Amino acid sequence: MTKRLARIASVTLTLIGAGFFAFAVAYTSPGSPTGFVNDFANILDSETKANLETKLSAFEQKTTHEIVVVTIPTLGDDYIENYAVKLFEEWGIGKKDADNGILFLVALNDRKVRIEVGYGLEGALVDSEANTIIQDYVLPEFKAGDYVKGIEAGVGGIIAATEGEVVSTQGTSSSSTDWGEIGFFIIFALFWGVNILIQIFASSKSWWLGGVLGGGAGALITIFGLFGVTLTLGIIISAIFAIVGLLFDYVVSKNSDSILKKFRKGGDGGMWTGGGFGGKSSGGGFGGFGGGSSGGGGSSGSW
Amino acid sequence: MEIRKNAGFVKWVVVIAVILVVVTWTTGKYNSFVALNQKVDTQWAQVENQFQRRFDLVPNLVNTVKGITKQELEVFTAIAEARTRYSGAQTTDAKVTAANEYQSALGRLLVVVENYPQLKSSDSFNALMAELAGTENRVAVERGRFNEVVGEYNVATKRVPGSLIAMLFGFDKKELFKAQDGAQTTPVVDFQ
Repeated sequence: MTKRLARIASVTLTLIGAGFFAFAVAYTSPGSPTGFVNDFANILDSETKANLETKLSAFEQKTTHEIVVVTIPTLGDDYIENYAVKLFEEWGIGKKDADNGILFLVALNDRKVRIEVGYGLEGALVDSEANTIIQDYVLPEFKAGDYVKGIEAGVGGIIAATEGEVVSTQGTSSSSTDWGEIGFFIIFALFWGVNILIQIFASSKSWWLGGVLGGGAGALITIFGLFGVTLTLGIIISAIFAIVGLLFDYVVSKNSDSILKKFRKGGDGGMWTGGGFGGKSSGGGFGGFGGGSSGGGGSSGSW
Repeated sequence: MEIRKNAGFVKWVVVIAVILVVVTWTTGKYNSFVALNQKVDTQWAQVENQFQRRFDLVPNLVNTVKGITKQELEVFTAIAEARTRYSGAQTTDAKVTAANEYQSALGRLLVVVENYPQLKSSDSFNALMAELAGTENRVAVERGRFNEVVGEYNVATKRVPGSLIAMLFGFDKKELFKAQDGAQTTPVVDFQ
C-alpha cells in the first residue's frame, strides 16, 4: 500500500513539475487505427484480439461509447500522459458531440499504462476509479507477465464502469452546427462554381457573356420573387449582377491564356488556394472513430 | 475614338475590381481574426475551468493531511494565500501568477505527504491523490492547447499582409503561458 501511494505521489509530482514542458516533447503517431484493438507492440494473440474486438464493437453498438485498446512498443522520448492525449486527438476517439471515448494505452518497453477518458465519460469513470482499475486489475497481471489477462481485466473494468452511462450523440445546439455546415457547403459550392465559370468565360471568346448571365440571374430572381425580393429591389439586384458578371467575364477573358494554362496544368491550383479542408484519413478498411476529444482525464500507472 | 472609349472603360473596370478584391479580402481577414480570437478566449475558459477544479479539490486534500499532521505547516498558509490571490486577480497575467504559486505550494504539500506513512494506508487519500494527478494532467493539457491556439493567433496576426488588418483593428499579440521561475526544480519543504 505504501509503495503504491509513493508511486502515485511521484507521478503527481512529475506531472506538476513537467506540466509546463508538457507539449515541448515529441509525439510520434503509431499510425492509423485498424479497429478497437490496435496491437502495435504485438503482445496479444490473434484469438484474444478477435474476442476483444467483438466485445468492444458490440459495446459500441449498445452504448455508442468507443473504447479503444492500443499497445505500443515504446513512447520514444514522450511520456505517457502526453502521448495518450495526442493519440486521442489524432484518432478522434468517441462520438463527436458526446466525447464518449476511452483510450486504454499500454507502452510495453516503458512499462507504463494509461486510461485516458474523453470529456463525456469523465463523470462515469472518474480518475480515482480509473486508478483503481489500473492498480487492482491491470498491474497485478502485468507484473506477473500476463499481458493478455491484464488487458482483458482492464477492458472489463472500463466496460463495467461506463455501461450504465447514457450519452446523447445529438449536439445540444443542432441549429448552430447545421449553419456551420451549410456555410461550409455554400463557400465550397461558391469556389467550385467560380472555378467553373472562370473556365467557361476564359474559353469563350466573348467578354460580355458574364454580364448577360448575371443580368439574367437577377431577372430570374425578380420574376420568381425568390428570397422575397420586390420589383425595385429585383431591378437593382439584376443591375448589380449584370455589372459584376460583366467585370468578371471581362477580367477573365483578358487573362484567358494564362488562366486556361493553369487549369490544364493541375485542377484547382493557382488562383483559389487557401481553402483546403479534407476529412480525417483513416485507412485499412476501418471506418475510423467518431471525432471525440479528451482533456487529460484518467489515470496512469507503471509496473 | 473607339479605342479611347475602351481605355476609359478598362480603367473603371480595374478600379472597381481592385476595390471589390480589397474589401472582400479585408472582410475575410477580419472575420478570421475574430474567429481565432474567440478560439483563444474559449480555450482560456477551459484553462480556468481546470484551475477551478483544482481549487475545489485541494481543500479536501489539505484537510486530510491536516488531520494527520496535527500541526500548522507553512505550506497550508501558502495554499490558502495563493487561492485568495487567484480569486482577487483581475487580469489574465495576475491569474496566471497566482495559479503558478498555487501549483508550487501544492508540490510542496505532496512532499510533506511523503513523510507521513499513516496517510498512505488510507483509501480515501489514495483516491484523492489519483484525482489530483488527473487534475494536474488536465491543467497541463488545457494549458498546452491554450498555447497552441495563441500561437496560431499570433502567427496569423503577424503575417504580412494580414498584419496590416490586425494592426488596423487592434488584434494585439497575445501572451503564452510561461513557466514560472523555479518550476524546473523539485519543490523543497521546510519542516519547522
